[in-house]
Amino acid sequence: MSRKVSSGLFLTGLSAILSIAGLIAYMVNTGTSYFASLGVSPVVAGCAAAAVVCQVVYLAAGLKGQPVWADILPVASSALMMVATITFLSVRVAGIASIMTFESNASNQADMTGAIVGIALCLVATVFSMVASFFDITKE
Amino acid sequence: MAASPIVESYRTNIDSLLGTSSTKVVSDDEDSSELYSYVSDYSSTTELVQAIADLGEQMSEEGTVLLKNENNALPLTAEETQKISLLGFSSYYPVMGGDMGSSLTENEDTDADTVDFVEALAAKGFTINSDLQALYTSLESTFVTEVESWGSTITYTHITTPSTGGVFTSKEPSQEAMAAADADWQSSMDDYNVMIITIARSASENGTYLPGEDGVDSSQNLNQTDPLGLSDDERDLIAAAVAAKETNGGKVIVLLNNASAMEIEEIAENDGVDAILQIGLPGGYGFYGVADILSGDANPSGHLADTYAVVNANAPSAQNFGNYTWTNANSDYSINSAQVEAEGIYIGYKYYETRYMDSVLGQGNASAAVGSTDGVAWSYDNEVTYSFGYGLSYTTFEQTLDSLEVDLENQTVTATVTVTNTGDVAGKDVVQLYVSVPYTDYDIENGVEKAGVQLLDYEKTAELGAGESETVTITADMQDMVSWDSTSENAAGTTGCYILDAGTYYFTLGNGAHEAANNVLAAQGCTVADGMTEDGDTSLVATWELDELDNTTFAYTKNGTAVENQLEDMDLNYWMEGTVTYLSRSDWEGTFPITYENLTATDEMLDVMDNDNYEITANGDASSVIFGEDNGLTLADLKGVTDITDESWTLLMNQITLEDCMIRTGFGGTSTKSIDAIASPEVIQNDGPNGIYSYTLGSYASAEGSGDPYTVSEDDPNYNYKAGVMANETVIGQTFSKELAQAYGEVMGNYSLWSNLTIWWGVGANIHRSPYNARNHEYYSEDSVLTAFQAAATVTGAMEYGCLAAPKHFAYNDTEINRSGMAVFATEQAARENELRCFQSAVEDAGCLAMMTAYNRIGCYTDNSHTGLLIGILREEWGFLGLMSEDFIQTANYSVLKEAVINGVTMSCNTGESTMAAVSAMWDYWTVENVSEDETLLTALKQAMTWQAYAIANSNAMDGYSSTSRVVSVRTWYDNLITCLQIGFGVLTALCILKYVLALRKKNA
Repeated sequence: MSRKVSSGLFLTGLSAILSIAGLIAYMVNTGTSYFASLGVSPVVAGCAAAAVVCQVVYLAAGLKGQPVWADILPVASSALMMVATITFLSVRVAGIASIMTFESNASNQADMTGAIVGIALCLVATVFSMVASFFDITKE
Repeated sequence: MAASPIVESYRTNIDSLLGTSSTKVVSDDEDSSELYSYVSDYSSTTELVQAIADLGEQMSEEGTVLLKNENNALPLTAEETQKISLLGFSSYYPVMGGDMGSSLTENEDTDADTVDFVEALAAKGFTINSDLQALYTSLESTFVTEVESWGSTITYTHITTPSTGGVFTSKEPSQEAMAAADADWQSSMDDYNVMIITIARSASENGTYLPGEDGVDSSQNLNQTDPLGLSDDERDLIAAAVAAKETNGGKVIVLLNNASAMEIEEIAENDGVDAILQIGLPGGYGFYGVADILSGDANPSGHLADTYAVVNANAPSAQNFGNYTWTNANSDYSINSAQVEAEGIYIGYKYYETRYMDSVLGQGNASAAVGSTDGVAWSYDNEVTYSFGYGLSYTTFEQTLDSLEVDLENQTVTATVTVTNTGDVAGKDVVQLYVSVPYTDYDIENGVEKAGVQLLDYEKTAELGAGESETVTITADMQDMVSWDSTSENAAGTTGCYILDAGTYYFTLGNGAHEAANNVLAAQGCTVADGMTEDGDTSLVATWELDELDNTTFAYTKNGTAVENQLEDMDLNYWMEGTVTYLSRSDWEGTFPITYENLTATDEMLDVMDNDNYEITANGDASSVIFGEDNGLTLADLKGVTDITDESWTLLMNQITLEDCMIRTGFGGTSTKSIDAIASPEVIQNDGPNGIYSYTLGSYASAEGSGDPYTVSEDDPNYNYKAGVMANETVIGQTFSKELAQAYGEVMGNYSLWSNLTIWWGVGANIHRSPYNARNHEYYSEDSVLTAFQAAATVTGAMEYGCLAAPKHFAYNDTEINRSGMAVFATEQAARENELRCFQSAVEDAGCLAMMTAYNRIGCYTDNSHTGLLIGILREEWGFLGLMSEDFIQTANYSVLKEAVINGVTMSCNTGESTMAAVSAMWDYWTVENVSEDETLLTALKQAMTWQAYAIANSNAMDGYSSTSRVVSVRTWYDNLITCLQIGFGVLTALCILKYVLALRKKNA
């Protein structure tokens, strides 16, 4: 019985790419001038990394027959990305408020833009991960 | 799930936005109306807002300064008020408040709507040239500045301030643009020949004017040499009006709409300009006052709060005003820039008048070329257009110094002055008492500097009719004339003390610092033949002799604390010996400041600037610091208990938990949250110096039936009124009226009562170190005494109504450049006599109970962790007992929570969920496990919360509270919505799992 790739493959792959992009954006943002002193949040980095692992494993498992245990992976990745996104937002919102008001200069604006882009990437990755969880990787 | 933590972190802001309340006070008292102790002067919101409007009008009547009035061009006749031609786009689009910070809150459809210049003139019965109005209106799009901010574009339709790294761009239409818009605009002035030209420079938090051509948009090619100087388009406009006057026989009047002193020598010297009025930023009602001055319904009595120099960039302070980054800057610790205030005590008139006096006396190479406009020789006439304290009236006054007595034992100088109105119309006059202290060999040897003249005190008369007199008695505090000597022995057995030198002290009066300087010089035997600009009046001078140097009388502060050096490490030479040469009048030429740039912080400095300067350790007997007792007290039991040593305070604060202390010191932004253990209510915080404007009048106001005598219903026409409407603080300074400053505090205190907005970060008390600081609009003056007394009066007025009016930013927020990290270096003498003296009276005399600290560093230490400043001077020498918040610092490292608490700061400006987990997540060292073993930190925490509770107990925040009152949580509609959504999504999740299991079974079957 042959297996064909399904739309879930592309959606999960895309959500994994977006999650990686979100994670990279976060890590880059933690090194910016304004946000460097806040350090790296283990919750954001850990959850986003774990979500990527879940998505990759889900892809691999799907291509190898999609075992039942793998069904939990897209749910887990979505939840992990949601936690990462909310935490990312929480640790940046005060700084963003400060930059938009009291500390508005070109450098800080650039750092803030990076943060907002990163948060947006994580959020989109979360949504894609949720949508992807409704689709199989392969179909018979 | 996602919404819950966000809601918990920002509940105060959400409640404010949605008009909801998450807590309420429950009391067993049957008649809660008995629990309101503060009484408003007003019986309705209508009376309240109209009182604000009336004061705003009066503030500009008395704070507008008449600088020039040739041939009595002002006031206008009734006929002339019908022939007004408004020129300059700022006449139609004036700067009424800061671009950011103390921005005008426009109020419409209230009982006191705000007005601009055109509306005010119309309301006062003036008639303006409609052709010109149409011309400028047609060009409106060219006056717009758009500032991109994420998610929105802020549009300003008035001249704007450059950002901290930006340049000034002129928006004044060229003559060509005006001709293109209306070819006949000049002839339209034939029938409207009273030509009023408004020249404006805006002001803003987070804004900066860079000195000289570096601060100007060079692409405009408008021959503008300084952002605070004129552009060719502005010159051409004035020239066009002067030319038109030749044919229409009218008048040319220039209004200066600015807060930072502009370079206006060419306007002052222009014979075609009949009159100049400095109107500041008038706020929402100030233009009524300006109109009254134009028409003569009010007689100007304002005096300049700053020196108007010919070239601002020549000032010593300007040599080190800019962005001077460390060569080894490190953003991880907010190590960015350094500012060396090498001018020492010589800012504003203390520089210009002292150098002038030395040039006349032939001392200290004062006439050398350095710092001069012509580059040849320094001459007062070439350097100053209008001096500090100068101002004209429509009438004339004569002041006589009837007596002057120095009482060293009681530390007072009492002057009796008779003021007589010798003119034809009624008006008010200001008595300015100056002192000239001796500059001796001892000073030169020990690095003590002395201003030639300095303001000691001032009083404004009542309105005097023609021929009327008033005897004014000024009892000045000698603390304001002593000098800090960092080398002197002291009562503490260390070094550093206030001193009075042996020698002759000259006390004098004058319409401004320059007249006072001339009087002193005359008393010293000088005349115009010696190079004086004009002869002085010796009859206005009294002298006092001190036989020997006195370093004991002022060795203790008013609360009995022995003074000593507290700011030695603020001097860059402390860290990098021999680096800075501070300006000295012993050698103006040899010590004139160079620019200190490309500095490299030493390892020792970097070790401090990493901001980790307190190590939490197990020390002392931590169990001796008591938390969590049940003594049956509430904060309401201590309402009005002003003795902080009362044992009840100890018993009450023993009830608070360590977790409460740690959370509330960490998360103090927006509001000080309620604390159940002591039944302390949530207290809302508000900006700003032009009035309480963070929230509307109705946002937190009580509803009818609450027992509060002051309620605001949603259908009240003033429900959405915001009080950011007052003229800017420079205008308040220019009134030279402590009474008006106090009246401002009183009306804001009333507003606080009605609105339930208690904490007011509204008393900007930083000194005008340089006109290039675009935030000068939120501060009063270049002079510490004028600033101190105006600030103290406003605090006094507000506190009468239980409003916690807070001076800010303590201390040295005198530039907006890289302020979060900026390391400010200065001498202790300059600090104590200029910047810090601005705050001293508000604490010592007015007893303020709230203070905001600053973004910048004091030397290498963050402002919030400088022990000498915050503990040594503020808490111990001055006896400050109130709450103290950081400014809006949002980074964990730079907000230095543990160091700040150790140094008496009671709250940071961060917000977050009221849990230890949240506060520990931001500051990882801030855990109960760590802190609970550190007796020193525990004691500081407890003390900080005691100061905070003490301030709240003595404020109107306790109105409505009794000993039976409890703060209970209330579920708002959004709490219920979130819970419903959580349940709904939970059910959906369960259904999904069920469906998944069923599908799996089906698949397997």
